[in-house]
Amino acid sequence: MDAMLADPLAVLVLAHADDKLLLGHVQSDWTGLGPLLEEDIAASAMSQDDLSHALILYEFLGKRFDLDPDVIAFERAPEDYACCDLVTFPDEFDWATSLVKRWLVAVFTGLGLERLGTLDDADLSARCDRIMPEQRLQVAHLGNWIRRLGSAGGESTARMQAAVDRVAEVTGTLFEVPGHRLEEDETYCCGRDDLFTEWNGIVQATLAEAGLTGTFTLPERSTVGGRRGTHAGHFTEQLTEMTEVRRVSPGASW
Amino acid sequence: MLSGIPDPELPVSIVDLGLVKTVHVEQSVVRVDLLPTWTGCPALEVIAKDVESQVAALPGVDTCTVTWCYEPAWSPDRISAEGQSILKAHGITSPGCCSEAPTTIPLGTSFIACPYCGSNETRLDSPYGPTRCRSIHFCESCRNQFEHMKAVDLEP
Repeated sequence: MDAMLADPLAVLVLAHADDKLLLGHVQSDWTGLGPLLEEDIAASAMSQDDLSHALILYEFLGKRFDLDPDVIAFERAPEDYACCDLVTFPDEFDWATSLVKRWLVAVFTGLGLERLGTLDDADLSARCDRIMPEQRLQVAHLGNWIRRLGSAGGESTARMQAAVDRVAEVTGTLFEVPGHRLEEDETYCCGRDDLFTEWNGIVQATLAEAGLTGTFTLPERSTVGGRRGTHAGHFTEQLTEMTEVRRVSPGASW
Repeated sequence: MLSGIPDPELPVSIVDLGLVKTVHVEQSVVRVDLLPTWTGCPALEVIAKDVESQVAALPGVDTCTVTWCYEPAWSPDRISAEGQSILKAHGITSPGCCSEAPTTIPLGTSFIACPYCGSNETRLDSPYGPTRCRSIHFCESCRNQFEHMKAVDLEP
């Protein structure tokens, strides 16, 4: 475990896997509560996808560092999780906030996995390639809803704009440099500035089509947040709930 | 023998659905490589257990293990002609069974012939259907809803 957490590439993979693990769990709170049946199903399906994508990435790390993927997912210390504060930002059961948050993360993850897939590692590339079509559908589907609800006018547009405003401040946490055990010059940033520029371009184009506005900024490299183990939002409650069965009954299966 | 193992969520076998990638046999040890339709499909564990237990029960076989593979990615092109016609009879279309349908579905519109009345006046209701591998469509002509085995790579 220590070797994995001291490996720059592994930590970068962990950041994406942990985003998906946490987001998949957080979002599943909505199952049964979606504002319309099709979207209730779609949101639950995307959460399932997020959890399977997390598993595909944990399996990669498991093979490389001889670890059980479930142990990587559920048995790390809280500060060794590299998810960002946006995924654990409470949506207070506001559908607009949930939607905007998931969309911003999905665009980021899509671009991040594309980049991971180009690194010189055949196993990692194959895994990213398998995830990407499902990721692209998430981005397309969520983007359609941003446009549809943003451009609907009246209360719909107002609530979508309020949601963008609400998450704007924590959105930059997506781009924080991960890994609190790494020295700054050891971190594997994978073109952070370029990633932010491309992400912002896609996000701004969709927001413009939706008639919404949002300003996002790239945090300083030295910023310490969730990606470096100092978590916010409902990370602690979420992790406690996610790991409860393993703590109560280690090795339980069903 | 694998043709006798149904997908738990569809009326077709895992062979007709195109899930079987390769079968390796070494003496009495069998390894079956399968492809998931969608990686988050909750039926994967059930399918793997069915295959492992039923193959291991064959005469001359000691053990069978299933591995889920990510290459090549499954696509509805892998569904057999027999599988397509069984699915269609159950109101589920697939790209191969409707000549007009492109292999990918542009969101918001669709060109898929309705399995009930054959009309092409259909639209996509949601790309996320009742299982991970299906999308939901609506026929403007006969006003029926139907499902489609979606290509994993949908066009935005």
